[in-house]
Formats: sequence, C-alpha cells, structure tokens
Amino acid sequence: MKSFTLINPTTLDGALEALVQAMDRRGRSKAALLAGGQDLLTELKEHLAEPEKVVNLKGVPGLATIQVDGALLRIGALASIEAIESHPIIRERAPALAEAAATIASPQIRSVGTIGGNLCQRPRCWYYRLEEAKCIKKGGAECFSYSGRNKYNAIFGGGPSYIVHPSDLATVLTTLDAQVVILSPKGTQTLPIERFFTLPSEGSVLKETVLKPDEIVVEVQVPLDALSQYSAWSKFKERASYDWALSSVCVAVVKDGSTVKRARVTLGGVAPIPWRVPAVEALLVGKSLDEATIAAACEEALRGAEPLSENGYKIPLTKGLLTRVLRSLA
Amino acid sequence: MTAFPGMTYPSGPQDNAPKQSKTKKVKTTKVVNGIEQEVEIEVEDVAGPEWGPRAALKVLDKELIRVDAPVKVSGRAVYTHDVRVPGMAWARLLLAPQPATKITKLDFSACAKVPGYLGHVVIEAEETRWLGQPVAAVAGATSEAAEDALRAIVLEYEALPFVLDRDSALKPDAPKVSRRGNQSKPQTRGDEAKAKAAIEAAPHKASGTYSVPVVHHACLETHGAVVDWRGGEEATVYCSSQHTFGFAGDAAKTLDLKSSAVTGIVEHMGGGFGSKFGFGQEGDAAAKLSKLLQRPVHLMLTRKDEFLMGGNRSGSHLELAGGMDANGALVGFTARAHKQGGIGDGSLSGLPYIYKCAEAWTEVSGVRTNMDSSRAMRAPGHPQASFATESLLDELAYAAGLDLVAVRKANLEDKVWHRQLDRVAKEIGWFEHPHRTQPGTAKAELCTGIGFAISRWGGGGGPACEVEVAIERDGSVTSSVGSQDLGTGVRTYVAAIPAEEFGLPLSAVVARIGSTRLGNANGSGGSVTTASLAPAVKDAAYNARRAFAEVLAPLLGCTAAEVLFADGGVQTSAPGGKRLTWKQACAALPEAGLRAKGVWAAHLQGNGIHGAQAAKVEVDTLTGRVRVLHMVCMQDVGLCLNRAATRSQINGGMVQALGYALLEERVVDTALGLQLNPCLEDYKLPHSLEIPKMTVILDDEDTRGVIGVSEAPIVPGGAAIANAIHNACGARIRSLPCTPDKVLIALGKVS
Ligand SMILES: Cc1cc2nc3c(=O)[nH]c(=O)nc-3n(C[C@H](O)[C@H](O)[C@H](O)COP(=O)(O)OP(=O)(O)OC[C@H]3O[C@@H](n4cnc5c(N)ncnc54)[C@H](O)[C@@H]3O)c2cc1C
Repeated sequence: MKSFTLINPTTLDGALEALVQAMDRRGRSKAALLAGGQDLLTELKEHLAEPEKVVNLKGVPGLATIQVDGALLRIGALASIEAIESHPIIRERAPALAEAAATIASPQIRSVGTIGGNLCQRPRCWYYRLEEAKCIKKGGAECFSYSGRNKYNAIFGGGPSYIVHPSDLATVLTTLDAQVVILSPKGTQTLPIERFFTLPSEGSVLKETVLKPDEIVVEVQVPLDALSQYSAWSKFKERASYDWALSSVCVAVVKDGSTVKRARVTLGGVAPIPWRVPAVEALLVGKSLDEATIAAACEEALRGAEPLSENGYKIPLTKGLLTRVLRSLA
Repeated sequence: MTAFPGMTYPSGPQDNAPKQSKTKKVKTTKVVNGIEQEVEIEVEDVAGPEWGPRAALKVLDKELIRVDAPVKVSGRAVYTHDVRVPGMAWARLLLAPQPATKITKLDFSACAKVPGYLGHVVIEAEETRWLGQPVAAVAGATSEAAEDALRAIVLEYEALPFVLDRDSALKPDAPKVSRRGNQSKPQTRGDEAKAKAAIEAAPHKASGTYSVPVVHHACLETHGAVVDWRGGEEATVYCSSQHTFGFAGDAAKTLDLKSSAVTGIVEHMGGGFGSKFGFGQEGDAAAKLSKLLQRPVHLMLTRKDEFLMGGNRSGSHLELAGGMDANGALVGFTARAHKQGGIGDGSLSGLPYIYKCAEAWTEVSGVRTNMDSSRAMRAPGHPQASFATESLLDELAYAAGLDLVAVRKANLEDKVWHRQLDRVAKEIGWFEHPHRTQPGTAKAELCTGIGFAISRWGGGGGPACEVEVAIERDGSVTSSVGSQDLGTGVRTYVAAIPAEEFGLPLSAVVARIGSTRLGNANGSGGSVTTASLAPAVKDAAYNARRAFAEVLAPLLGCTAAEVLFADGGVQTSAPGGKRLTWKQACAALPEAGLRAKGVWAAHLQGNGIHGAQAAKVEVDTLTGRVRVLHMVCMQDVGLCLNRAATRSQINGGMVQALGYALLEERVVDTALGLQLNPCLEDYKLPHSLEIPKMTVILDDEDTRGVIGVSEAPIVPGGAAIANAIHNACGARIRSLPCTPDKVLIALGKVS
C-alpha cells in the first residue's frame, strides 16, 4: 500500500474536521475513513484506494453502542457485525437483521467489521478488485463484466456498471425501513436507507452511496414494529463457510390471521443496490402465503430481470430463496 | 510437464512388489472380512531388519500425535516465510501484466528515489510469453520499500496477441504460443476403427464431452526462498521446497560457490502438492539479488504471484464414447483429449482410467495457452482421467440399467478393488439407497445421491536416503536425515521407527530433518518419500540396535542375539535375566555414544495402491446447492506407520477433491488477458463448513511393507461427487466444478 498519515481523532467533530481539511478545492478528498478496516485495508493493499490520510474513527467514543429508544433501535456506526448478530433484542424483535449478520463473512471479520463500514464497503466485482482492470468503477470507460465474466454480477438495475451491492445488512435494513444518520459539516441528517444507495445510472458510477467525502455515517435507526418482528432472511453462498451472496432475500410481513396486511420484500446480490420489489409487496397484501401466492410472487419478483451471459441462474436461484422465505412466514 | 524425480507409474498395483527369493513363515494378525485372525504368512527370508508382525508393534501402526504438532499449532514452527537473518533485504518480483508482450522499456531510475531501495535484477528484458512471467526483481531494506520500488519500475510494452483458452488456441489463425505451435503432437493408443466398431456393436452406448478446469495447488505457504549469503565462501539457503537436496546446487551456481558450500534448509514446509521442486525463478532471483547486494535476501511470492506463476494442475477437455455389454463389461472406448497446461503440455493419465476395456482408442495432445506451465499436482493427470472415465461409466451403467458398484467390479480383475468397493458401498448406505440402477429425478426439493470412483498409485520407493541414528550416553536418541516434511508426517516416523526398534516411547527419540548437512534424501513427489525413507530409517535403527546389543551383551551376561529391547529398557531373553533401564544401558556407551547408518532395503517397502471412494450428496433442486454429506475412502497402504497421519493424508485428499468437484477453478478473462481470481477470497477453497462427514478405512488385509499413500486419495473424490449429483437428481454435469449455476442449468431451470 501507499504510505499515508494516520489521524486518530477522539471526537466526531475532530474526525469531520480531518475529513474537511483533506478536501481539495474541487471537492475531491485525499482522505479515507477507517472503521474496522476489513474492506479499507484490502483497498489500500490492492492500490484501489491511495489516500494520503486515513482518519481512524475507532478512537471516537460512543459510536459502537446499540440501544433501544422506545420503538426505535439505534445502532452506532462502529457497532460490530458480531454485536448485531448476538444482540438479544435484535434477535427477538428484528430477527432478519441478526440472521443476516450471522451470514456475513467469517467470525473473525464479523468481530471487527462494523455496520457503518458494511454499508459503505466497496463492490466485490472481480474487475473492480483487480488493479490491472481499469474498469468503469475506477474511472475507466467500460464495465468489463458486461461482455466478460459476469457470473456474480447484476440481473437488475445494471448499466453502466453491473456490480451487485455486497452488503447483506443493507438488504435487511431496506426491508425494515431503516434510516441512516449522517453527520456533515452542515449538521446531522437522517436519510431513509433507500435514498442512501444509488444506482450507477443515477448517482456517480464511481460510488455506491450518496455519501460525500466529508460525511460520516454515525448511526443506523431501525423501527422495531410488527414488520421487523416478522422478518426473515435467506442468503445463498456458493461456499457456505464464507462468501458473498449470489442472491439473498429479505421479507417482512404484518399479518392478520393468515392474511398479509403489509409486506416488504428486498432482494440482495442481484443489483447494484438493495433491490426492493414493490410489485411483490402489493401482490402479497390481502393474500395468505399459500403455494399459489408464493409462485406468483416469485414470478413477479424476477419479472424484468436482465441476466448477462453467465448469471441467468440467479433467476431460478432467487425464486427458490423467495419461495423458502415466504413459506417460513406463512 | 516434468514428472516427479524418481517417480514411477505402476502398471498394475500390488503385483509390483519385489520378487521374493527365499521365504520363511511368520505368524501375524490378518483381518479377513473385518475379523482379526492369527495366520501364518510367508515373508522374505533375508538377514536384516524386518517390520515384524503387525500385532507386535508398539509405536508404529498406532495413532501418533505428530512430534511437531505443538510448534505448528502454537506458531513457533519456522517456515521459510518466517526466516529472518541479520541484514536481510526483502525482495519482490515484477510480473508480466499481459499474456504476451514485447518489452519496449524497462526503467528502474525511479526506484532510486524510493527510500530503502537496494537494487534490482532483470530476469527478462525482451519478450514475455505468459501471464505472470517474471520480468525483474527488486530488493528493499523493508518489505514496504521493496513494494514501493517495485511500483516505481517503469515497464512499457507492446501487447502481443495471445490465447488463454483451448478454442482460441486451436483456431487456424491463432497467435502462436510458442515456436512449437499451439498443440503438441497427438499420442495415440489402440485401434480407432476397432474401438468404434466395438462401441457400435454394443447394446448400450454413451458419449459426452467432459472438461475439468485449471486449478491451483493453493499451498498455504507460497513459493520462495531466503538466501543467506553475506559474501564469503559459504551460504545457507532456506526454501519452501519439496526437495531439500534439490535447490542448494542451483543456488551455489548462481552465487558462484561450490555446491558443497551451500546448505539447504527446509525446516518446516507449508505445502507443495507437486509444485515445489527446484529453486524456481523466484529462488534464482533471490540468489542473484543476494550476490548483487552481498547480503541475505528474502523473496517469497505474494499470493497473487503464487496464483499466476506458482504452477497449476492442467485442465482437460475430453471427448469420450463407450459401449457396454449386457453384463456391464466395457467393450469399446474412444477418447480424444486435450490437456491444458498453459505453456506446458499438461498431464493426463491413461484412458479409460484403471478399468479394462477390450477395444480402447485414445488420442491425447496438449493445447498450449499463454499462461504459466502446469506442474505436477498430487497424482498428476489422474483426477482428470478419473472424472471423465467414471462419469462415462455411470452413464453407461444407467443406460444398461445395472448397479453402479456391480458395473465397476465387472471391469476390474484385481479383487482388492472389489472388496474396497463393496466396503465403501456398505459404509455409505448403498444397499439401502433407492437409486442403484437409475438416477433419481428432481421432483423432490432435496435429493440425495451416491457416487463411486476408484484410484491407484505406485507409492514404491527407491535407494536414495541415508539415515543416521545416534544414541548418546545420557540416553538421548536422535534420528537424522536431510528429508523434508511437507506436512505428511515424515518427522514423526523418522522418530517413531527407532522408538519401535528400541522399545522406547515416541517421545524418547528426536528427529532431525530438513537440512543438506544431514544424510541425503530424495524429493517428495509421487508419494515416493515414505517407501524410500522409512526402510532406511528402519535399517539405521536396526544397525544401531545390533551394535548396542554387542556393547550390552557382556553386561547382561548373554550373547548379543539374546539382548532384548522392550518397554523402555534392555534385558536378556533368558527367563529371570538381568534388566537395565534405557538410561542405565546408555551409560555403558563410550563417550562418543553410538552412531549407525541405514540405507534403503527393498523388502521393507511395497508398491501399488488401490483405493475406492464413495460420496453421498444432497442436491437442493430449488437453488442448485450441492452439499456433500459423507465421503468414504478405503485404501490399502501397506504397513501404516502412523494411523492418525495416514487418515489425515486421506482426509486431506478428499477435501482437495471436494474443492475440485464443487468450487475451484482458475477464472480468466480471455479478451483482457487477466486471471480474475488470483486470491484466496475469489479462488474458492473448501473451508470448515464444506467438510462432510469423512470415513477413512485403512485396508488392513494388505500385509506389504511401507508404501506411499498420499496421491491416491485425491483422485476419486471429484468423480464420486459429480456422479452422486447425477445419481441424486438426474443432473449430469460434465464440467467441473459443479457449481450451483451448472446444477440449475443441468436441471433445465435456466432459460
Ligand atoms: C473475506 C470477506 C468476506 C466478506 N463477506 C461479506 C458478506 O458476506 N456480506 C457482507 O455484507 N459483507 C461481507 N464482507 C464485508 C465486511 O462485512 C465489511 O468489510 C465490513 O463490514 C466493513 O466494515 P469495516 O468496519 O471493517 O469497514 P472499513 O473497512 O473500515 O471501511 C469500509 C469502507 O467504508 C467506509 N466507512 C467505514 N465506516 C464509515 C462511516 N461510519 N461513515 C462513512 N464511511 C465509512 C470506509 O471509508 C471504507 O471506504 C466481507 C469482507 C471480507 C474481507
């Protein structure tokens, strides 16, 4: 990796200040924020990121807490994935979140990786991760996966880049209507998570979120309600021990007897952002989760998928996962 | 491709044991149909060491914990990577970033501005012919300085046309990979017309194109060396190598030293699997830098370097056809195969693999691409041949409606395989399984299937090793030989054999290995180590015991032949005779102690391994997930020196086979000329949750001497798992690895 200066602020203001100072006149940053380092270190070692300054958030106290304020779950940006996985209230009242956390990476990585870093991590596409491939995500002209090897790439929302978003927590948090609390020089802002992630065709193709270089995710808020209570998660890993999602599904429903009153359905591992499917949500309302409804929901969920040359399998795979998750909620 | 040093491929297992001249009868325990019996057997009547009856063994053939287990699990074991010597420089290689280049500029001037930069050597200044070919090496005072200097090198080149896959390489207008062209001369065997006619006439036929990918050895320790030379007449070279005596000479040449002036050290070794013979370009570059800088140099490949230039197991494309008669006999077989070994020619075992066939015709050639050459990898050529042959055999068996185990036996004369197949079939639950003559269907969401495959290997040794066993006056015993331990347990049996001979516990003997200052030893490849080394250790221990008995006889008041070594002491065989503890006995030695040498003895080893494996899988037809539930391996191993280590070797083989079957493959972008997964995150090795229940059955009916065990167990697992997937749900996957996308495609679920 390229040498850098490590800055260890002890307050959020100090961290923000360090980020602001590292901006040039054109708004480009020479700094990177460090949380658990599970992604950033790889980015540095592979020369995908070459910041002059690394601002270590870990010295800022109070950012790792998980607390429940009435019906609001508040997870500090530095809370570890392991802490989310094992938190008794999360396990009880937002089970999909704890389940998803448990399927991330390896125990070692989960004990160090944070929720903030998990949402802000960069894509895992082969081409993006290979320094030699000057792909569109790194300022090149082309998304090589489009005409190249694309087994793990997007079947929804692709173009001009076809990455899939790697965060499993993002898929669940989208389902649960979470909010992301962002600190910027202008103050604190609370953003619905769906507006946090951007499609490559909408925001900058060089980024996956709306976050600016002088902004810090400080907290994630999750409403603990009937929806979060009845949530379920399924992730398909090619290698069970640790792997990113080839596809994942998160569903939350509110039911009256066997009839669905409200539903949220999000697919992961299939698009550059967590892929909510409102049409499926609408389809489920007023129905019971019988096999016919489930089959119809699967068709609807994958309608409009545009597979590339090597990832057509994601369609039956995602249907299979959705089938199982819906059955588990029936 | 280069074969292993000293390796022989046997034609038929078990019949290759040395011919016996004179024989004598001894009593031993024999296991017949799982029941132990005392029987009289005939053995060679040679004067000299004998392993003796198995039932009488106290240390060998038992569950031994490796003597180096504590240092390994606690991280104290020093591997080449861990070697640090005073004044050591760190070096890195610059690799060709494209599969074929004409270098137009190679400029090191910016390196000088890097703090800590020490120097560089050029390896290739003009043209490169494969992706990852080393171009230069740089050294720095720290590993960071070496990396910064590496990145400061300016390499400019004209990208030359290249081919990375078989189809492109075979096109008439394809760029030439080498002067020899893109295809090696096809080797043919058999009569094509007769084989085709036999298939034509057979009542049951099957054909298919099978392919296996290029995979990697994925040694946890990458290739590399530490060359400790600081000027002067002597040097010490540490190398992650499978052949301690194989690289010191190369280093000496580069350093301009006498080869005897260079000590080679392989104290601990983090896996080689066939990829680590010789000094390699990385070792040579380290030696050149050391010579240039007059200081020690540490050059180990990065993980990415390792994937690009550390070798690979060749891929294969095999077009097979076969015919079977009503009794399950393979009556005709044809194969046209292309090996893919990068710029090398790859390897492929003879086809059909092991099974006999009256009329077989094969045509095999290598197709070259601009990637690194394949190297030997644990049973070179066998897993590829096994996958294709066993898959076709299953397809034929189903076509004929015959039992998969019965069909295999019908094509094997050697009864050892019969008993092994029967046993693994029983262990895996074959006889209760519903799909014995027809595959299951994908109607259920979760389908269970079973598959079989067999293996063979030589594993015999040869004269190469010189072992010294020393007994000191203070009672300590050392057993020394220069051999390396790749993780197979060499160090443990080097101590265990003398412990057995002297009636001592394993802990009473210290093994010294891994240095050219110790007795000669051959390279560890082709499973030749144990059958070459163990007899020499035995011989040394035997000679030491005999010499010691001469010393002790007067003290015990008996003849040397009457001195008994047992239970941590010595005594006369006469009833009520004198007994000394081991320490008391050793005190009788002269000050210099006692030293004895040992060399190889053919009668202490054997040759010819058989193995059979069964795999049981669960296929999730909704998602394409394949979960291996159970793998069973039965193998004959001759005299088992250490049952725990032997089982570990077999388990390891099965795990590697599982990776081959389900996960592993080198992924390349043939247009960009890049390997896309040169890291252990994207090159998917099986991890703990992939590991199924594993059952290892050592074939204790085998009464031969020691035989190398470890190639055979990697062979059949891939085929057995692929066959089990088909048996479960009818999805026949003819190209490894059997990833979920391929399962879903084979089930007709992908439009
Ligand atoms: C082998 C491996 C397997 C993995 N598998 C999975 C998986 O299956 N599913 C999954 O979801 N994840 C997976 N991960 C990702 C892992 O969970 C993330 O790497 C981790 O969560 C990142 O967290 P971190 O705290 O280490 O972030 P860091 O590495 O410190 O940071 C990552 C990025 O986020 C930015 N960042 C960090 N915190 C903040 C913040 N508070 N505000 C603004 N920006 C911030 C950093 O600047 C950096 O760009 C895997 C990672 C590895 C290495």
